[in-house]
Amino acid sequence: MHVLIINGSPRIKKFSNTDKILDEFTKGMCEGGNTCDRYEISDKASWDAIRKAYDESDNILIAIPLYVECIPGLLMEFLETLTPKTGNAKMSFILQSGFAEGVQLRCGEAYLERLAKNLGCEYGGTLVKGGNFEIRFLNDENRAKATSPYADMGREFAACGNFNSDKCKAFTGPEIFPAPVRVLVGFFFKTAVRKNFIRDGESLGCTRPLDYKPYS
Amino acid sequence: MILIVNTTSDTSVTEELRKQAEAGNVDVDIVEAGSLKISHCIGCNYCWLKTPGECAIKDDYEMILKKLIHADQYWVISDTALGFIDHKGKNVFDRILPILTMNLKFVKGQMRHISRYGKNADVGLIIRGDAADKEYLERWVERAALNLESKSLGVFDESKIKEAVSCMC
Ligand SMILES: Cc1cc2nc3c(=O)[nH]c(=O)nc-3n(C[C@H](O)[C@H](O)[C@H](O)COP(=O)(O)O)c2cc1C
Repeated sequence: MHVLIINGSPRIKKFSNTDKILDEFTKGMCEGGNTCDRYEISDKASWDAIRKAYDESDNILIAIPLYVECIPGLLMEFLETLTPKTGNAKMSFILQSGFAEGVQLRCGEAYLERLAKNLGCEYGGTLVKGGNFEIRFLNDENRAKATSPYADMGREFAACGNFNSDKCKAFTGPEIFPAPVRVLVGFFFKTAVRKNFIRDGESLGCTRPLDYKPYS
Repeated sequence: MILIVNTTSDTSVTEELRKQAEAGNVDVDIVEAGSLKISHCIGCNYCWLKTPGECAIKDDYEMILKKLIHADQYWVISDTALGFIDHKGKNVFDRILPILTMNLKFVKGQMRHISRYGKNADVGLIIRGDAADKEYLERWVERAALNLESKSLGVFDESKIKEAVSCMC
């Protein structure tokens, strides 16, 4: 199996969480001799090459960070330039996001099924998982912890050719957190998580409080 | 104030809107964004973590952002593509992030970002063209509004301006 993989994030490759996820996913997917080509939407200079690869491929996987409940504007701009497929192409998706609960990604997922159809492709399903905001800020060890589960999903995709298996569906985790978990996580939001964000900001050179109001 | 951002190059919709809003004594601020320079969001996270509240991209969206924080309603007029709004319409939603902060809380059982300026504008959509799946867009605007802890004003076809204006109060 040969798969065309497009990272739909507008964030440059070096900082893209999707890119780190794809590193692990493709490790698993390619174990049995499968191959892939990878492209980034963030690199506008490569759009002609991505279009050509799309035209020539019948197994397409687009990996997407959720942007305001759907696909990023830049990815949309690219997709608008494509000619819908007429053959037997399949389009599958990895959808990942900041918020952690499955319910947060369902509206985006619903669009992807429509998108595949609008591009004349058979829908190969979507691998849905949130809670990925911090990947770009993690050290190597914690990043490996966060992304390595995707290797197994790569194996699963290689075996099934789509994301419709129960294993892929279970990968999402809880649709919504139970109330006691929310209380606990809510407490962390006000303490440890808030501190983490301040630290992330400092790593970027931030000198203001994160709730600063520049325009009021 | 009702902020209306027209991301299409067709100003006949906004002319009609302006007329009807004046007749109904509605305080609208219309931005013709079709001719403005508005980039996509590049996902740098600077508006949350490096220069809180400020977008790193210095283009015409900054002016919209400054209006948005005082608006009661945010209406976007957009062309459609691939069953959704086109990239110009989507970009003015993606670029909204500076009005939220990085900080998190739970609202109605789901994670949300804490607002930077207090109450955010309700959200409405006016669409041009027939490439959109209206039922899906209605669901999407509901979700987008949920992220702002505001409400959806609905999705209207450009031929239904009157109905849209009737929600502007
Ligand atoms: C403009 C913008 C909008 C976003 N909208 C959402 C959203 O609606 N829900 C969500 O859970 N995460 C949202 N996120 C978070 C991203 O999906 C998340 O950080 C993702 O891991 C980024 O992947 P990337 O680094 O490959 O771009 C948004 C991020 C940005 C920059």
